[in-house]
Amino acid sequence: MRPTFDERLASIVRALSEVVLPHLPPEASLAQEQVQLSIGHLQIMRAQLDQLHEYEREELADYTALASALCDAVTGGTQTQAALDALAQAISDSATQPVRAARKAVNEAVDALVKACAADGASGARETLTRLILTQEHERIQKDRKWFAPFGFDTL
Amino acid sequence: MDIERIYQESFAGRRNWKDRPPYRAALNGEITAVLERFFAAKRPGAAVSGVRRVGGGASKEQFFFTLSSNGQDEKYLLRMDPGMAITETDRAREFTLLDAMNGVVPVPRTAWVDNDAEFFPQSAAIMHVVSGVAKPSGSGVKVSGLGTWLGPEMRAKLRDQFMDHLIAIHAYDWRAKPLDRFDVPDADPKQAARWSFNFWRELWQIDEGETRPIFALADQWLADNLPDTADLVLTHGDYRTGNFLFDEDSGRITAILDWELARLGDYHEDLGWVLTRLFGTVDETGTFRACDLYEREEFITEYERRSGRSVSRGTLHFYDVLSNYKCYVIVAANGLAAARSQNNHQDVLLTFLGGTEPVFANELANLLSKGAQA
Repeated sequence: MRPTFDERLASIVRALSEVVLPHLPPEASLAQEQVQLSIGHLQIMRAQLDQLHEYEREELADYTALASALCDAVTGGTQTQAALDALAQAISDSATQPVRAARKAVNEAVDALVKACAADGASGARETLTRLILTQEHERIQKDRKWFAPFGFDTL
Repeated sequence: MDIERIYQESFAGRRNWKDRPPYRAALNGEITAVLERFFAAKRPGAAVSGVRRVGGGASKEQFFFTLSSNGQDEKYLLRMDPGMAITETDRAREFTLLDAMNGVVPVPRTAWVDNDAEFFPQSAAIMHVVSGVAKPSGSGVKVSGLGTWLGPEMRAKLRDQFMDHLIAIHAYDWRAKPLDRFDVPDADPKQAARWSFNFWRELWQIDEGETRPIFALADQWLADNLPDTADLVLTHGDYRTGNFLFDEDSGRITAILDWELARLGDYHEDLGWVLTRLFGTVDETGTFRACDLYEREEFITEYERRSGRSVSRGTLHFYDVLSNYKCYVIVAANGLAAARSQNNHQDVLLTFLGGTEPVFANELANLLSKGAQA
């Protein structure tokens, strides 16, 4: 029998909460704050751990879908075309890259396309790019807000 | 890049952040020792005692201490940069500003500054202690003053002061009383907005923030929509609940704090910052209050009425977007870079604050959906 990740995290949270924190002197304000934040972090990570891979795979799929839609809809001059070529390559590479590296590469290629389209996008291309990004990101952001909701900041 | 000179210098230093050794939170004994060395030079014969860390805050290391000299005890606050702060700021500039603001709005009185870290391990400033709290007692644990709930009674006491002090800052006559280390963005009408945008854009690059499509869109939108600034004023840069102290009994504001992002610029920039949704509250009826003090339209119209200035909705929309862009840079690039490099004393706080990323991404998406003008 081996300890699961959940059991290991739970034991760390308990040690910090019930052994370390009560023994910190009142004047150790920074240490108290840091332990409380550490406990909060660990509790959230415990709750998210089993869904982490699914969350990250879905995130990459969402960004790749947006990137593909941009490749299909945006046209322009030499800068825009070069950015589109690079984006198509990033999409293709994402199938074999580790998921976080792939997400970063795809989003950086979208970033470059936004800049290139501002420079020499075809007539209407910027409006199309803006509409696609806003539509897709509205949906993606709601998933991210839900994922980070346990942090307690999002009351909007 | 067109940016204020002082930041060209400090950004050059920040670019080597990956090469710096890890930074550890200073211990009270270490601070006592360095204070003793400092005062042996600055005030021979004075004794340092009672050094204790100040809780809260996300950017500076802060310690209270007592200095005893000629039979008198005086209480001071030491503010010291960590190895890498959440934003790039300058202690001497903050010191200059506090001196200038003395008598204009309530501020801590300055005492000494060691901007070049001659005595302290990092740039540091020492101020006289001001009484007051940044949030009501019993308002619960809030990270860095975000979304502090003041409640109806304290709100009624604070809101006029909050407004009047902001207006007094904007009315400061910097032409008659120039501020050392502050450049004037008057090369063209867009330079004030451009300097502010470029400051955060450059920090994003230096700290290697990981982009996402909505951030890329916001970045380009801001570059394309820089507004003119007709009336250059002194801006506070981080004016919000959590960054002033008040007396809980009287409700009097005793000090405006955290001037490190102040610059000469557009008053709309401070208004947009005050109105940032994460700094405000939403009550049980769904009503949003900026800094838990004013509803949005009420804040804008009251500012216009009291200051005599007019608020351009188009310009304010730009600064609404820029405010959320700044917050995005702070939580998704600056804070995480400081934590990754172990160059801050509060890595775990900075990674926790990173959890606000979707909030600011959501605000950017909502604001950009409104187009060029709200």
